[in-house]
Amino acid sequence: MLTKNDLTRYKRQILYTGFGEKGQKSLNQSHVVVAGLGGLGCSAALYLTCAGIGHITLIDCDRVELSNLNRQVLHYEEDIGEGKPFSAAQKLAKLNSSIEVTPVFKKITEHNARGLIKGANLVIDGMDSLQARFILNKACVAEGIPFIHGGIHGLFGEVTTILPGKTPCLACIFPEVPHRKASFPVFGVTPALVAILQVTEAIKLLAGFGSLLTGKMLYFNGETMDFTVRNLVKNPNCQVCGTKKV
Amino acid sequence: MSIKVRLHPILRNLAGGQEVVEVTGHTTGECLETLESRFPVIKQMLRDKRGQLRRYCSILVNSKSTHPNELTTPVKDGDQIDIVILVTGG
Repeated sequence: MLTKNDLTRYKRQILYTGFGEKGQKSLNQSHVVVAGLGGLGCSAALYLTCAGIGHITLIDCDRVELSNLNRQVLHYEEDIGEGKPFSAAQKLAKLNSSIEVTPVFKKITEHNARGLIKGANLVIDGMDSLQARFILNKACVAEGIPFIHGGIHGLFGEVTTILPGKTPCLACIFPEVPHRKASFPVFGVTPALVAILQVTEAIKLLAGFGSLLTGKMLYFNGETMDFTVRNLVKNPNCQVCGTKKV
Repeated sequence: MSIKVRLHPILRNLAGGQEVVEVTGHTTGECLETLESRFPVIKQMLRDKRGQLRRYCSILVNSKSTHPNELTTPVKDGDQIDIVILVTGG
């Protein structure tokens, strides 16, 4: 049930054809997990909050550092040293007090990943390591929860939407968990743009309209200002979602 | 025999901005070697010190994964190879 305040707050998006009050109710009743409160996670959480997602869980195990502030827009100078989920949750609560925001100050591991995302309608990938992404990918497939992957490097970004059992998962394309150095170049605009694309996917998926980046990887190159889409095909032998799953 | 290799956007700057490079070869490995001989800097991105394909690179033929035969999958005239790289940052 949308309240009078809801109808006012979300009026401009309710006007969108194919979304309407029904779409807004779907968002209000949804639970989204934002895994990682870095550049991607901060911008994603911000726009999920604006859109009126009823319950947002924020998961990260790091504390705010000065070097984060060029891109992690929910953390301010006064938050340096604070746990990222708490820092982010404070800002989001001021932006939209009608939704529930749950901060979780934990590292996502093989052992706890499924428990942390259980019951959610969707997980947004805001992780900053490939290993963590693959843990989440596997947990989402196991729990049957849609997973919206985003990744960035410099002025380059990528997005795909994974629907467990229906579309290729990350392990279909990268069967062995890649290793790569953790430190990477980035301008703040790159995760902001990629996160907004992830949230656009989330809104459509939760409200049930439009078409999704399923079976497709969208690449953005900010240096040349071009977007490219590549088709991805499910691997029947995938160890995570295929016949060889372990 | 002509095979098209579509470069991941992050590799395009290393190939003079080209998105698609036409190469020759009977396997994915031969095609990559042709590509790398024309753009040696791409080799540094794709291979480790032992010449093995880096784990964050994936080779698709006509959009399908070639794992575990990334460098030995046969290709034929008209096939399309995609070099996919998974980026780390968040």
